[in-house]
Amino acid sequence: MKGAKQSLMKKASGQNKQSLKSYLKNNWQLYVMILPAVVYFFVFNYLPMYGIQIAFKDYKAVLGINGSPWVGLKHFKAFFNAYYFVRLLANTLILNLENLIWGFPIPIIMAIMLNQVKNDRVKRGIQTTIYVPYFISTVVLAGMLYIFLSPTSGIFNTLRGWMGLKAVDYMSSAAAFRPIYIISSIWQGAGYSTILFIAALAGVDQSLYEAAEIDGASIWQKIRYIDIPSLLPTIMMVLVLDCGKLLGSNTEKALVMQTAGNIPTSDIIGVYVYNVGLGSGQFSYTAAIGLFINIINFILIMTVNRISKKATDVGLF
Amino acid sequence: MAKDTSMSVRQGKRKLSRSNRIFKIVNTVFWIAIMFIILYPLYLVIIASVSDPDAIIRGEVVWHPVGFSMRGYEAVFKYNELIRSYGNSLFYTFSSVVLSIVVTLLGAYVLSRPKFKGKAVFNLFFVFTMFFGGGLIPTFLTMRDLGLYNSPLLVILMGSVSVWNLMVARTFIQTSIPHELYEASMIDGASHFAYFGRVVLPLSKTIIAVLAVYYGVAKWNDYFTGLVYLRDRSLFPLQTVLREILATLQVDKTGDYMMNMADDMVSMAEAMKVAQVAKYCIIVVATGPVVILYAFMQKYFEKGVMIGSLKG
Repeated sequence: MKGAKQSLMKKASGQNKQSLKSYLKNNWQLYVMILPAVVYFFVFNYLPMYGIQIAFKDYKAVLGINGSPWVGLKHFKAFFNAYYFVRLLANTLILNLENLIWGFPIPIIMAIMLNQVKNDRVKRGIQTTIYVPYFISTVVLAGMLYIFLSPTSGIFNTLRGWMGLKAVDYMSSAAAFRPIYIISSIWQGAGYSTILFIAALAGVDQSLYEAAEIDGASIWQKIRYIDIPSLLPTIMMVLVLDCGKLLGSNTEKALVMQTAGNIPTSDIIGVYVYNVGLGSGQFSYTAAIGLFINIINFILIMTVNRISKKATDVGLF
Repeated sequence: MAKDTSMSVRQGKRKLSRSNRIFKIVNTVFWIAIMFIILYPLYLVIIASVSDPDAIIRGEVVWHPVGFSMRGYEAVFKYNELIRSYGNSLFYTFSSVVLSIVVTLLGAYVLSRPKFKGKAVFNLFFVFTMFFGGGLIPTFLTMRDLGLYNSPLLVILMGSVSVWNLMVARTFIQTSIPHELYEASMIDGASHFAYFGRVVLPLSKTIIAVLAVYYGVAKWNDYFTGLVYLRDRSLFPLQTVLREILATLQVDKTGDYMMNMADDMVSMAEAMKVAQVAKYCIIVVATGPVVILYAFMQKYFEKGVMIGSLKG
């Protein structure tokens, strides 16, 4: 009995080996085809992960990543004890949180309102227009901000002048940094973000609207009882994604918007790492900061995803 | 009794149509406002780019061009560094997009094969990079060790494959190319190379366009890679040069640029004036092609998001 079972297992495993061999013989080309992508991610994503070790070392260019001496948690301790530690963390979190609170509902409202535009040509025209800002680069967007908000010739200060108010140098103002950052982000990204919600609304069963109409529902009621519930899964999914990014930095945008005057609010983690790491060459110290934030972000997105999965059955993975 | 009901129904209907009419007015006003907010800044840039510099400084350019002048554009086209970086960006973007599409499509094809052995491992290998990475500094040092610092190759390669686009392309191949074609070809003894080349590629025009839009815009608009990884100014892409001109509070710095670019300008003050209007012209010249291209590719732009929202 036992022997029979064993021989059966042997046979099965032999077959497995055989089938794997024939699988590879027939499908080796698949592995060749996926190779370029694997090499790319290995070089540009996994090799740098190996370089993370300099966060625990004192990096010296002559000694290289491998040869530099280990120093344990020295850089992490220095960062936690630095007086700007709290400021950096708070700046990053507040900027992202305010951006989420103000920016999140707008694409949803736009999608719902667009769904009520019944003239197809008008609808098409609106869609074409609201996506345009997405194609404007970060640098050009920042350039437009510098131009429009300029205290000498900018349109905003021209308007203030008409109202008899004094010109304000917005780009040098710490108090103005967050509103400018958030408003310009909404201007640039809201249209793009509506696409997902528009798609979700397009998928709603039209007979629901017809039934509601027969029952005498107004447009407001149709939005309240059909549109919003239909959008909820998409809303949750996007919210999960956004919450996972609360401590991430849009370094590229904040960096081009940073001026000597707005540093108290514009100094977010990503910008600090760029300025101090590449600007002053403190590689190990800033690598430690980067690692610390990466780990927090990783935990954050995993947690948020789990909560969302439990609560609504909507998760990213 | 019957009369009563019919009257209340009519009243209800009137109330309903009134509420709907109010909604329609609100909606119209809403969209007019949104259109204005989106288009006015772009309009302002365009009218200012053809206006008289003095009028801009006096704050007169609000609704229409004042004192038509092309001096800004003349200055921009004489600005050698700008023209060179424009050429660099065209080269970086074109080569990167071709490379990106090839690598992404090949990988996506493999991941879309239902019985591909090792799919879970490869998926994890790719998706993990979306959530964790080396960070700026370790990446910088690694690239320097690899000899890619100050290399045009790095600008082309950096960010040239995105996991998101890989997944979008995978979903597209999975859902848009009939599985029967695959099975029939495999029974006929076709190899993966042959099937990919003769069936998948010709049926992938849509996804190729989608990838071209997303990869192309990302590459054209990227200033950061050039800023971090390039030392030679002659290699700079357009956006990296623009950062120095546009994203700065120092007016005199811009004036310096203008002085260098146009030797026929009489004085520093004159140069500064032209610098003001040239900023608008630079925005038009740098962004115009992308927006025009978008107008032709709009269909694919939306499609990218739609396919991405499907779960593969």
